Amino acid sequence: MILDLHAHSEASEDSRAPLETYLKWLQRKRDLLPIDGIVLTEHRQWDPHADYRALEDQYGILILRGAEVETDYGHILLYGVTDEMTRRFDFANVRLSAQEVVSEVARMGGVAAPCHPGRPTIGLCEHYAAGKPPLEGVVAVEALNGGSRRGENERVQALIDAHGYGAFGGSDAHLVSLIGICATELDDNVRSIDALVAALKTGRFRPVDFREQVRAARGAA
Amino acid sequence: MSVTIDRAIVGEEFDRTTFPPVTAEQIVAYATSTGETDPRWTQPAPHMIAPPTFTLSLRGKHFMPKNMPAHLGRNGFDAGKDIEMGAAIRPGDVLTAVATVHDVYEKTGRSGSMTFIVFRTAVTNQRGESVATIDQKMMFR
Repeated sequence: MILDLHAHSEASEDSRAPLETYLKWLQRKRDLLPIDGIVLTEHRQWDPHADYRALEDQYGILILRGAEVETDYGHILLYGVTDEMTRRFDFANVRLSAQEVVSEVARMGGVAAPCHPGRPTIGLCEHYAAGKPPLEGVVAVEALNGGSRRGENERVQALIDAHGYGAFGGSDAHLVSLIGICATELDDNVRSIDALVAALKTGRFRPVDFREQVRAARGAA
Repeated sequence: MSVTIDRAIVGEEFDRTTFPPVTAEQIVAYATSTGETDPRWTQPAPHMIAPPTFTLSLRGKHFMPKNMPAHLGRNGFDAGKDIEMGAAIRPGDVLTAVATVHDVYEKTGRSGSMTFIVFRTAVTNQRGESVATIDQKMMFR
């Protein structure tokens, strides 16, 4: 199955994309974007009360939730967020310790995965290049990010080769028309956040890139 | 390193201004300044309605709280506005704008750390109806 593991709705302060409009878009673009589900990873926040089951049923698209936090090694996606994690970390703090986040989230049963590693300032590559010690316990990084500029995704392969990280993809959509353009193909049938966390620990997944076919379709229109 | 702003200012009201009654000429002047050509907004009439963004032309007495750090403004810029429209504005309406600090937060991006302040202006008419809620973000570093 194919999931977009990194998306922002209007709950993030820099996005104007309503969740339901993402779902309508994916439903309409099914031939171009065969996305089975999305993971909302809102910036620096976690809403314990959000419940999207009605929208899931209405649109037939899986909706899971994570978070994107900011650390001294750049931005990190959290999957399998629990109340224990929100008590342990202030998600609004932009200076979290990446090593603490990775280690503690793993201990609490989740996965903390650096996103857009090739991006200046907020990506893992630059911090490693500056001489910081490699993070221990990272199981995967976002090798393909739909919001990256030219060259940023390309930097990530060397990181993966050097450290053996799993590689996944996400659109990092902040606008409706960008949802699903990069995603992750998983070998496992994931129907819950717990199943996604388990799958991310197996390494049986890979990034998938739909940008070229979306561009081609726009050009043909 | 981004600038540090004490979140204690969140919720602080720093301006409350009641404006003279809106005139048809004022609405037309605003509409034409934006390039509008629709006669609904460019032809003065007693019951005409102001364009949706008309409230952006209102200027209160203070742009931000007086107790903001003195160095702010030198390295900041307008990071965008959100406007939630309410009741229609017509000639004769008396508008009151109340400005508060709605939020302060930090984030990091490609270019480094940033601090955002969201100023919220709630605009009501003489009947107490909300005509607009404007959130203006300013970024400082």
